[in-house]
Amino acid sequence: MNAEPFVRGQTGRIRLHVLPTKKFKTYAIVLYAGVPLSEADITRVALLPFVLGRGTASFPETLAFREKLDAMYGAHFGYDVGKRGDHQVVQFRLDVIGDRFVSSNTPLLKEALALLGEVLTAPALEDGRFVGRYVEAEKKTVAQKLDAIINDKIRYAEKRCLEEMFRGEPYRLPALGRKEDLGGIDAVSLYETYRKWLREAAFDLYVVGDTSLEEVAALVKGAFRLPDGPPGNYTPSVPRHAPAEPRTVEERLDVTQGKLNIGLRTPVTYAGRDYPALLVYNGLLGGYPHAKLFVNVREKASLAYYASSRLEGHKGIIMIQTGIDIANYEKALGIIREQLEAMRRGDFTADDLAKTKEMLSNQLIALQDNPFDRIWFDFNARVAGAEHTAEELLGKIRAVTPDDVVRVAETVGLDTVYFLRDRKEETVHARA
Amino acid sequence: MPALEYPRLEETLHHERLDNGLDVFVLPKPGFTKTFAVFATRFGSADNRFRLADGREFAVPDGLAHFLEHKMFEEPDGDVFARFAANGASANAYTGFDQTVYLFSATRNVDVCLEILLDFVQNPCFTDASVEKEKGIIIQEIHMYRDNPDWRVYFGLLEALYHRHPVRIDIAGTPESVSSITKELLYECHRMFYHPSNMHLFVVGGVDPEQTMEVVRANQARKRFDPPPGFRRVPAEEPEDAKEPMRQAALSVAMPKCYVGFKEAGSLPAGEQAVRRDLAARIMLDALFSRSSPVYQEMYDEHLVFDSFGAQFTSGPGYAFSVIGGDTRDPDEMVRRVTEAMERTAERGLDPDVFERIRRKKIGAHLRLWNSPEAIAGEFVRFRHRGGDLFRVVELYESLTLEEVNGWLRAHVHPSRRAVSVVRGDAS
Repeated sequence: MNAEPFVRGQTGRIRLHVLPTKKFKTYAIVLYAGVPLSEADITRVALLPFVLGRGTASFPETLAFREKLDAMYGAHFGYDVGKRGDHQVVQFRLDVIGDRFVSSNTPLLKEALALLGEVLTAPALEDGRFVGRYVEAEKKTVAQKLDAIINDKIRYAEKRCLEEMFRGEPYRLPALGRKEDLGGIDAVSLYETYRKWLREAAFDLYVVGDTSLEEVAALVKGAFRLPDGPPGNYTPSVPRHAPAEPRTVEERLDVTQGKLNIGLRTPVTYAGRDYPALLVYNGLLGGYPHAKLFVNVREKASLAYYASSRLEGHKGIIMIQTGIDIANYEKALGIIREQLEAMRRGDFTADDLAKTKEMLSNQLIALQDNPFDRIWFDFNARVAGAEHTAEELLGKIRAVTPDDVVRVAETVGLDTVYFLRDRKEETVHARA
Repeated sequence: MPALEYPRLEETLHHERLDNGLDVFVLPKPGFTKTFAVFATRFGSADNRFRLADGREFAVPDGLAHFLEHKMFEEPDGDVFARFAANGASANAYTGFDQTVYLFSATRNVDVCLEILLDFVQNPCFTDASVEKEKGIIIQEIHMYRDNPDWRVYFGLLEALYHRHPVRIDIAGTPESVSSITKELLYECHRMFYHPSNMHLFVVGGVDPEQTMEVVRANQARKRFDPPPGFRRVPAEEPEDAKEPMRQAALSVAMPKCYVGFKEAGSLPAGEQAVRRDLAARIMLDALFSRSSPVYQEMYDEHLVFDSFGAQFTSGPGYAFSVIGGDTRDPDEMVRRVTEAMERTAERGLDPDVFERIRRKKIGAHLRLWNSPEAIAGEFVRFRHRGGDLFRVVELYESLTLEEVNGWLRAHVHPSRRAVSVVRGDAS
């Protein structure tokens, strides 16, 4: 695919990853800041980008900050908090038009990095701490987002299944943390968390667009005022095997459609030698419309509109999800278990294997066309300590044999069966 | 083959209308590895009543366009997804109010994939058994959306705004309407609405335009088509006022969701005039309710609304409406504040500096779209189906005046054309 590579550098504690290209009409900028997941700090850290996004030293009022973004030809600014393995990663994104498409007095890349540097290292303050009303408002926003998970039953069922799989571990928590922690946070204590976070987090800054490492390094130097020290690092998580017997959890809410979610575990993870085979396994099981779950649960049995599986390669887990008529629970679970067995027996055709590899290749090649996808892929590989390019991973996927897939299938075990159903007649299901 | 140069966008568009009436567009994106193709028909969920050439009226059950979209993927020798997958391509489709769109993305074997796309959409193959089986899948899809509060609050608003216009109907129909669909009806609709003269093909990505065009020409030359069927859409007789002031529904949500909207009435603009009106509406709604607006920031700081709050404007044949809202702790108060802001600005007009700033923001956002072949393809066919041109959007934004934008709001905010939709938690 001959993709241009990222050029790497470092400015203080920030690792720089720059992809000089004229292919896009924009500068895509992402800053990642990761710390180990911690029960004690998860909610505070989650709150930080919300408060930092309210205003900076130069634009302390949110309205002025937002007007500044508008004036930069509608620069798109966003932030997000996620989990990568056992790390909580805050992400800031800026998407700015390339200077050659508009007439702007100051180069937009310079303005964008200056603004991002302020967001991260020179926030709006009052009396040497965060602005109280911003902290209070953003606590409400985070609380509302945590509450809102229940609105989307597909997301809710997935969250609940994950919670059951990781009881007692910080990974069970949503990346946004816990609503009950929010009450104990104020402008002073959050500012302390922020200072500590700036000292300890691993920072990676990505820029894709018509620029160079030298230009970005020079701009970052002037714009980010971080404490000195070496860049922070990510530690890959240690995967677990599934238990001998899966746990079954049933929950009742007012729903029309039942949601059946199944959590699987494998000791194979992103950086492992068998990861390419695990990608193929997941594709064959439930990644595509030709996959076993889609074909058997939806097309053959007509039980569902969606039936798929999703791989979380950092943790070695696969989550199956489907929405079914409540009366069809046993039938759907039976069909899904049969598919897992079939995978262990190597019961898939050469044709399905070839299709799955083609689909994975297509995805890996296609991500070269989207600047944010390229950043996302590169960052994931580096977090996991698997420093492959998309091209290298593609080569390994093409070499996966049926035996490789069976070897991986034998490591995949059923961990948790979660069923969200209606409140009508309270019949108890027998253990499947 | 004529090529249209757009130097400001650094884009060149190739277009040809084939003898059978099909409009083919190719937009090469040098350096891109992926190709994205969409094949779209002007037949959507809101196209449900027609007058045929022989004077007969033809009405289709709710959800038919969407049902047809599902069934097109089935072939006598397995399904189409598998054939795309064998070429490393992923395929999909979606049904909107005014169109049904089939698409694939591929990084190689693009010519083969184009043939698969043209062939499966132009060769229907339905059996009684396969139609029956599909009903089960679609009814699950309908149930899935009924549990989705965002979907419910949106369609609640449309049901409150519109008396008769089919835009108020769920795109997938109802379990009852879907159950009434037959194989014969599907064939009939395919014959009428999937004629090449009712369709567009748009290909964007790392392709050679002449080679791509030749694949399409040869494929179409091999097929025979009847003369274009004569039909015209029977417009719904929609009263000017909103059907009812408010719709409410109960679902398990943590916080109420509320949308307020206004519908437009009378003779609505078409073609480029409709696009102009849409852009004027978007500038105004952005100025009033985006994150850089004082109204949003005030409501946000009072914890009345959250970052799910937004405003949008949607239009098509015979309908045009605004939708404003999101999660709110107090729907009545949110509706009051939104309406008040619109009425106040309609009276006083927008500040000229704000107008310029938002116009600039909208031009930047539009230019960003050109990075994404998927977004270009989807937007391009949407514009074409309405007689507009996506490539002219920057020019249109630049030619809009403050007076036009103010004029739009004055005409739009009309108390009797307003409706509200609320989804509340079970307890309240």
